[in-house]
Amino acid sequence: MKGTPMLLHLQDVWKVYQMGEVEVPALRGITVEIRKGDFVAIIGASGSGKSTMMNLIGCLDLPSKGSIFLKDRDITKMSESDLATLRGRTVGFIFQQYNLIPSITAFDNILLPMEFLEYDDKTAHARATKIMKMVGLEDKGHHLPTQLSGGQQQRVSIGRSLAADPEIILADEPTGNLDSTTGKSIMEMFRKLWKEEGKTIIMVTHDLKLARYAHTVIELKDGQIIKIDNTR
Amino acid sequence: MKFRKAFKHALNMVLHAKIRSWLTILGIVIGVAAVISIVSLGEALQQDVSSQLGNLGGDILTLTAGRPRAMDFGHGRDYGGDASASEEEIVIDRTDLQALKGISDIMLIDTQIRGNAEIYYVAEKGSVTVNGVDPATWYQITTSEIAEGRMLGPADSNVIVVGGRIADGFFDKQLGVNQLVTIEERLFRIVGILDDTSNSVYMPIDIAYEILEDKEKGVYDSIVIKVKDEEQLDQAIANIEQKLMITRHATESTKDFTISSNKERQEQRAEMMSSMTTFLTAIAAVALLVGAVGIANTMFTSVLEKTKEIGIMKAIGARNNDILTIFLLNAGFIGFFGGLLGVILGIILSGFLPMLMGASGGMISRMGSAGSAMGLTTILLALGISVFIGMASGAVPAYQASRLKPVDALRYE
Repeated sequence: MKGTPMLLHLQDVWKVYQMGEVEVPALRGITVEIRKGDFVAIIGASGSGKSTMMNLIGCLDLPSKGSIFLKDRDITKMSESDLATLRGRTVGFIFQQYNLIPSITAFDNILLPMEFLEYDDKTAHARATKIMKMVGLEDKGHHLPTQLSGGQQQRVSIGRSLAADPEIILADEPTGNLDSTTGKSIMEMFRKLWKEEGKTIIMVTHDLKLARYAHTVIELKDGQIIKIDNTR
Repeated sequence: MKFRKAFKHALNMVLHAKIRSWLTILGIVIGVAAVISIVSLGEALQQDVSSQLGNLGGDILTLTAGRPRAMDFGHGRDYGGDASASEEEIVIDRTDLQALKGISDIMLIDTQIRGNAEIYYVAEKGSVTVNGVDPATWYQITTSEIAEGRMLGPADSNVIVVGGRIADGFFDKQLGVNQLVTIEERLFRIVGILDDTSNSVYMPIDIAYEILEDKEKGVYDSIVIKVKDEEQLDQAIANIEQKLMITRHATESTKDFTISSNKERQEQRAEMMSSMTTFLTAIAAVALLVGAVGIANTMFTSVLEKTKEIGIMKAIGARNNDILTIFLLNAGFIGFFGGLLGVILGIILSGFLPMLMGASGGMISRMGSAGSAMGLTTILLALGISVFIGMASGAVPAYQASRLKPVDALRYE
């Protein structure tokens, strides 16, 4: 991945949680660069700080200390509304629990990010239709999330993450709630997005088998990076 | 997010709301319905009063013997053993009539006496109120309308005009114009039937003196006066009072007659109605306030319930303002739906309320149409206020929702 432009840069990032009187550091001086077009797996045991790192990468949270540069912009110095828009345009989230809005249809769930980013209706509809086809759910658009299987819901959620055409797909244990066959098909979708669509994929997992799909593996332990393997 | 989209999502939230939200809406429904029905009831009553005011004529004054009622309150102690003795002497008679005739503000004078008498028709009998009136002026002064036949005329003697109830429903058989009835052993021909529901009989005053034996000729129960210029009513009253005080040798403190105007009576009634309406509206407003607290409560719970969704929305690009708009509109919709249902319920209630209050037949028919009489302004105002209450009570919860940190919101289960 050397030679491709830098997308994300964490510079001596600390995240400290206040638990009553005790300060618990979740991340301790993380410095890492993620380049455009990489497939990164962040692995580590539970409590190693990988979820915290994912929240920071996704601009859902701000570090206690240090800087995070997303496309050369320091997110710690941005206003809430600018950060929300940057997040919406640059990062597509995929969660273990799918996290679809239950009261609206699959199609509307895919439309939602484009509504927040104020796409015009025609473009948004055309794009959502295309995405529904891409994730193989063109006939399920009018279903509510609860009327879909876990695998189908995760595919809607992948569709939603692609809606605003972000550069980064950020996935948190994306197959955690799925059986192995469905999980495999989801991972194949990621590989396709990476290889064919040129998306940068960052995946947080504790499953070492999933990490094999990745190009770069970052291993965390006790809030520090203990190994970066980009030789795959 | 465009406002149109926020609107759609807020509406969707209400439509998918749990039963608790609908109970909250019910709170607003009851409040608005109470306010609407009470306000429209008040409006209708006031319309009723003012229509009577129009019918009865603001240019009509009634002169009766005795102290004005307002004076009684001030000098309540005057009512004693000797009061009844002196009251017998206080009358309105020919002297007063003569005095009135010299006043230029007066257009018409109708002397009246009133009493109960037995009426016979075929084999039936009943009791009616006999009104002896001046046949030369009564038809010009009275506000009653004739339904059938004609009014009394100056040359009439043994003829009567009867109230609508006597013609229809009083006897087994319906009475019509030109039919004969007996009142206190004297035969009368009906020349007119009034368009009202009264049990009254109107006849020339000279005949009435013969029918009502306890009445002394030349003494009147009341004198009804029509003034020339309604605009100058107060001046006319003052002139009449002044003149009568001179002829009756009375001073301000010993005044022994009362001049009441329809206008004054109606105004007093209207004032009483309006203060009563205000009072009831205040009670209804409390109901509305309780509804508002309900909305705030539901909104707080709703924000808690939707915390995770708020986190998701923020993760996929929602700004604080988008969340604020959606939740504020959601609260507005709760208010709107509550207001809408409340208006509908209020219109229905305002039709039924008078019946519950045991109003007279005429009132019910009038009030039944209160809904249609209720102005569009009232309805729009009620809706506007409901939306405002919804948004105002939803403001704090919506603000809290918008300020949630995405990472905390997402973690919420």
